[in-house]
Amino acid sequence: MTRLKVRPSTERGGRKDYISIKNFGFWYGSKKALESISLDIPERQVVAFIGPSGCGKSTLLRNLNRMNDLVDNIRHEGDIQIDSRSIYDPGLEVISLRRRVGMVFQKSNPFPKSIFENVVYALRVVGVRDRALLEEVCETSLRKAALWDEVKDRLHDSALGLSGGQMQRLCIARAIANRPEILLMDEPCSALDPIATGKIEELIHELKEQFTIVIVTHSMQQAARVSDRTAFFYLGKQVEYDTTEKIFMNPSQPQTEAYISGRFG
Amino acid sequence: MDSSDKKPLQPLDESRFQVSPWTLRVDTWMGRLISFGGISVVLAVLGMLVFLVWQVVPLFTGAKVTSQPELRLPAAVVAFGEDEYGALPFIGLADGTIKFLQSSDGAVTETWTPELAGRHVSAVRAYSRQGLVLLGLDDGSVQFAKITYRVEFTSQGDRHLSPQVKLEKPLTVGKLTSPVRDAWVAQSANGSLVVLQQELNGHPVLTATRLLERKGLGGRVTVIPGTPSVVAEGVTDIAEVLVPSTADTVLVRRRSHEVLVYNYNENTEAFALTQTFKPFANTAQPEISSAGLIFGNVSAVFANRQGAQEVWSLYPQKQPDGRSLRRWGLIHEGETLPGVPQGIFPAEGNKCYLVVAGDRLQIRNMTTGSLRWEGPAPKGVQQVIFSRNYERFTALTSEGKLVRWKLEDRYPEASWSTFFGKIWYEGATEPAYTWQSSSGSDEFEAKYSLVPLFYGTVKGTFYALIFALPIALLSAIYVSQFLRPEYRNIVKPVMEIMASLPSVVLGFLAGLWLAPLVDTHLISIFCVILILAPLGLLVGAIWAGLPQPWRRQVKPGLEFVWFLPILAIFVTLAWQLGPWVESLLFTVKEGQTGTAIVDFREWWRQVSTLGYDARNCLVVGFAMGFAVIPLIFTIAEDALSNVPQSLVSGSLALGASRWQTVWKVVLPTALSGIISAVMIGFGRAIGETMIVVMATGNTAIMEANPFSGMRTLSANIAVELPEAPAGQTHYRTLFLGACCLFILTFVINTLAEILRQRVRDRYKVI
Repeated sequence: MTRLKVRPSTERGGRKDYISIKNFGFWYGSKKALESISLDIPERQVVAFIGPSGCGKSTLLRNLNRMNDLVDNIRHEGDIQIDSRSIYDPGLEVISLRRRVGMVFQKSNPFPKSIFENVVYALRVVGVRDRALLEEVCETSLRKAALWDEVKDRLHDSALGLSGGQMQRLCIARAIANRPEILLMDEPCSALDPIATGKIEELIHELKEQFTIVIVTHSMQQAARVSDRTAFFYLGKQVEYDTTEKIFMNPSQPQTEAYISGRFG
Repeated sequence: MDSSDKKPLQPLDESRFQVSPWTLRVDTWMGRLISFGGISVVLAVLGMLVFLVWQVVPLFTGAKVTSQPELRLPAAVVAFGEDEYGALPFIGLADGTIKFLQSSDGAVTETWTPELAGRHVSAVRAYSRQGLVLLGLDDGSVQFAKITYRVEFTSQGDRHLSPQVKLEKPLTVGKLTSPVRDAWVAQSANGSLVVLQQELNGHPVLTATRLLERKGLGGRVTVIPGTPSVVAEGVTDIAEVLVPSTADTVLVRRRSHEVLVYNYNENTEAFALTQTFKPFANTAQPEISSAGLIFGNVSAVFANRQGAQEVWSLYPQKQPDGRSLRRWGLIHEGETLPGVPQGIFPAEGNKCYLVVAGDRLQIRNMTTGSLRWEGPAPKGVQQVIFSRNYERFTALTSEGKLVRWKLEDRYPEASWSTFFGKIWYEGATEPAYTWQSSSGSDEFEAKYSLVPLFYGTVKGTFYALIFALPIALLSAIYVSQFLRPEYRNIVKPVMEIMASLPSVVLGFLAGLWLAPLVDTHLISIFCVILILAPLGLLVGAIWAGLPQPWRRQVKPGLEFVWFLPILAIFVTLAWQLGPWVESLLFTVKEGQTGTAIVDFREWWRQVSTLGYDARNCLVVGFAMGFAVIPLIFTIAEDALSNVPQSLVSGSLALGASRWQTVWKVVLPTALSGIISAVMIGFGRAIGETMIVVMATGNTAIMEANPFSGMRTLSANIAVELPEAPAGQTHYRTLFLGACCLFILTFVINTLAEILRQRVRDRYKVI
């Protein structure tokens, strides 16, 4: 078994069940993608979802801000609550949910606009016109995303001129400019080189002071490095969910151990 | 896998690393083939342009004139003319003798002497085109000598002409019995006119007499002179008499540089002074040195001693008493001539004239004022005649020579101003852009202004796009971004089938079904159009205001299912509302009886003072819109659908609504594709032919009026090319129209492409 460097779990203040997934099942058409998932995600911690491809971890992540609504023929059972309120509450606008739950995608997807316009997009959408405020938010977001120094002289150049790692950090800056409560990250480093990956992992550490972060990753090392808690999924089922330390040092399920040690996946 | 690991690897043939020569050859040849295809396309387009330009360029070349051998005349000549081929010119001597000369060497082939029974010829005037020599006699009568040429072809195919001269009966048309000093004749379809100049007490006396032809039994024509009326009575300073071939007018130019116009009055059966005008009245030199009537005989060119020119023409003018009468008026001021004008001679078959100015000869076009040709003038030019086909001209000089030229000027009416300028045509009341390529009369001057056609093209395209663009683009946005995919998969192929509908079918429907429908239900149609946008917005607003649980009942992308019945109800209501709105807003009093009539068309005619045609821009807009919508829709929809889903997700994940996502992310990203879609639609609309031919009146008018027809460049080509004689001005002008259309679309497409590239660079997606 590979020894992984595991960051000791740091328990901070905040609700233990900030995000509460209760018996959640999910179907694409007749294909069942998730089966009775139940887990609680504490406030201002990093939770990693790991598991082999097709195990449903991304599906679960995308359900947290209802991005799966865009897909046809979907069905779910059970419930997901954020801050004790169901995200399927008929009175809840999906748009306001997404403003609270930001998302960073696997493939960086900057808009074909300037760096500045990318960062302040969420503010533009809600109708903020105050230039000073926009500039301030742009700067703080870019600073938080550790991109400010690299792009401060070319804020009004196209975002498409950035490197892959810069683009991904831009997408993170764009997501946090919205001041969400929760940040979902769907394999944010899978297309990046180790240096860029390292920068983003550093970033996750800093961001968790303010945000609750859920990250899907294929990299065991990454999960071990950045997360406080880890959930392991296999074939749409939740196999194990515990502190990262426990999962990587002493998993209770043999499947978890097999996956972590690289025997399948 | 484990078991295969243990097997030793089979050594593979080393040749697997070699690329087969066949593969390389195919690769090379396919590369060449593709290059060839691409270059061929470019060459084909260039070739088309070159062909068009090649057809058009001759229009802008001037006339070509080559000198022919001069003929030395055997005697002092007072009149001359020639046959159709210029092979056998005739000369008239002062005693009425007519001699025919061989054009090759000037040898006299035949001589004809009139049998006058003791009377003597005192005036001779030849009309070459009519083959007529008018002999004025010393007893105050006139006699026509008609010249006909019999054409025979020898067995070798050579043409042989034998002239015949027939002297007609003497006509007593004057009031006096003194010798005729000069005589003129004009022949029109309505009768002939003979004008005589005689002398009484040393003063000239002009007598104008209409000749009536009466057909007797057996087709014999007897000519009966009408009552002679004295023209310009008491005018002693007659400088020149011009008799237009309309046979109802005599223009008398006085030495005081005034022109008197006498017109025949049907009621009094006499000529009376109707107008006096003075060319160059506003210039320092009002002294007219030459004047000439132009072919068609409703225009005259005057030149003063300074070489300034003025063209006066007969056209309807408002009189002080409010009536509109045809009077002579100044329509052009021509360029200054290079010397003192000595004579103005009209060409045949077009509006050109030859002017002798100083020692130069110039052929000019009266209408455009353009100089067709200039060359040195022989000494002492007295008279110039053009051949009937405008291929030769001959001058009689005071040195007793016939100087002859061959003329090659196939496009006398062509010039930049003809095609693109505002031109005051003779008979028109003002300068205008006019397209009128043919008429029943030979004397008609074709009008080839491309401006109304440009105008019609732009107008038709504008109405088509104003109708098609919103529908096509909005539906492309809706179908690509909002509609559920299973419906999208139905809508898209249906629209693509629509795109393949032949435009002749659309034109047929537009002309025979849509035009009458629009004509009778215009207000209903307007009501429907006007209600659509507010209805959509209102329903949207109500929908957005509904509580979330209600909205949840409808799946996203299926909202149209319940919107459709509402739409149907309101469209029906609006349609029914049409007549009511029409009676409320568009009731007019009928001019004669004063009864109120409910008719938008009448209302429009009265309020706008513009016309109303049943086949108008709206019909074309609708029909052409239908041709253009599927094109724009398909391409725009593709462009919108090709916006990466990751961008849409990114925007939605940031809390943007679907519409905000479309507006802020999808549309800018797809903008270059949408520009392409619009340009392709534009190109289709601008070049669309059959719909315009069938659904408009094809009237080449320039009016912004949406209820009038139009003629587009492409429809013009389709309608007129079959009737245009190849190689003539008309034919080449149509090619010029095609060339302009080509350049127009080329320029607009190039600009759009530059814009598109810029947009694409700005919004390109990695």
